[in-house]
Amino acid sequence: MTSSRPRLFSTEAVVLRHSDLGEADRLLWLLTPQRGILRATARGARKPGSKLGGHLDLLCHVRLSMREGRELHSVSQADTVDAFRGVRTDIGRLSRGLYMAEIAQRVSVEDAPAPAVFRLLVNSLGWLAATESPDTLVRWFALRLLTITGFKPELGACAECGDTLEPDDHVFSAERGGLLCPACRSQGADLLHPASLGTIKVLRHLARSDYPEVASLKIGGEERRQIERILRAHTNAVIDRGVRSAAFLDEIRDWPDVGPVPGGLRSES
Amino acid sequence: MNSNFTPSAAAPVARLIEAFNRLPGVGPKSAQRLTYYMIRMPREEAEALAEAVISVKDRIVLCSRCLNITEEPVCHVCTNERRDRTRICVVEEPLDVFAIERTRAYDGLYHVLHGAISPVNGIGAEQLKIRELLDRLRDESVKELILATNPNLEGEATSMYLQRLIAPLGIKMTRLARGLSSGADLEYADEMTLVNALEGRSEVMIDGETPAG
Repeated sequence: MTSSRPRLFSTEAVVLRHSDLGEADRLLWLLTPQRGILRATARGARKPGSKLGGHLDLLCHVRLSMREGRELHSVSQADTVDAFRGVRTDIGRLSRGLYMAEIAQRVSVEDAPAPAVFRLLVNSLGWLAATESPDTLVRWFALRLLTITGFKPELGACAECGDTLEPDDHVFSAERGGLLCPACRSQGADLLHPASLGTIKVLRHLARSDYPEVASLKIGGEERRQIERILRAHTNAVIDRGVRSAAFLDEIRDWPDVGPVPGGLRSES
Repeated sequence: MNSNFTPSAAAPVARLIEAFNRLPGVGPKSAQRLTYYMIRMPREEAEALAEAVISVKDRIVLCSRCLNITEEPVCHVCTNERRDRTRICVVEEPLDVFAIERTRAYDGLYHVLHGAISPVNGIGAEQLKIRELLDRLRDESVKELILATNPNLEGEATSMYLQRLIAPLGIKMTRLARGLSSGADLEYADEMTLVNALEGRSEVMIDGETPAG
């Protein structure tokens, strides 16, 4: 037997998901740069006055000290790096942040380094807190995330035969993983999504640029709808059983803005 | 569910272990311990426990107004004539009602949502008792809605959702103050709590009055 003393390690993390555990503990799904997804417990995190609880809310970027466990690690100290306040105080941004966090979780694996995915999520949550175009950010994020994790959609050539695509309208097949040339389009019974020349250009631009370069990109209504359908279909093809938080994002998207509720109960005791 | 963690146990034992294991916070080991404790328990105690479980299922219903758990069709808070009917405090769970009642600082009514919006877990607004709340706001003479969801991201999401939904009705909405909890250490407070505490700071009272006025 080796020493039974538990090993301590420090890591940065983003809290992607949590659930209640026992009396007042919390079970966390964390995205970390060196070890990908880690599951950890935070003892007493649901009690008011807990030193951990406030730092370990969903979508918090934190610095943690953890005790190594066999499957579950346990958080001994937590410190917030960024709580992305602009994201959590606006329901529209929040719905997009949760969507991004869910797809990041579902394409990542436990205990495998994921520095690029981690950095992408942290940067994107930072942009989301202030951006004027949160929908463009979500589309750019999905495309970049799938590219980093090896699920890049084929946008340059036909996904079936590999032939170069003529500059023209084409179709996208999520099942075959990209755009199809006119000859391959009719083969197969998969669902085909229209992709106009304009849509294809915007998708390629999103795929090769960093977010600040595309933040102010104006995308026309029809192209926006096509891009949305294509990226959703591609994401759902990669992620088993679909993205759960997509329904909330869709519900919130078209609501008009309403300011926060002022005041608390202090003056009314 | 994992049904083969006690391969050698007799069928009724395995069944009870499995039933315990389905409870929140009870893992396979605790389920086994509870089961073996019950095997040694006197018959009367076991019957009392079984009866208590059944009666909870048979006799407890949701209050037809606030949806808190109760034995009557309408709960004792909703039928109490002395309670302030112009205020409704919206909480996530029945246990939150008990917590607020313990303070004896609130004399209005409640509305229990039975959960919070949790997109990641696939829980949306339609799974909560939000439609029932809207019906009450249309029928009753409510002047203030107190949003008392949990001060975490899912509770905040639920609160923001309700704000947007109810704003057109023109009812005053407030939410519980958030900030430092009693007995906490400032140095361990997280950024959000400190920002909230700063934003919600209140003027110091001297002999019941503020120095300025």
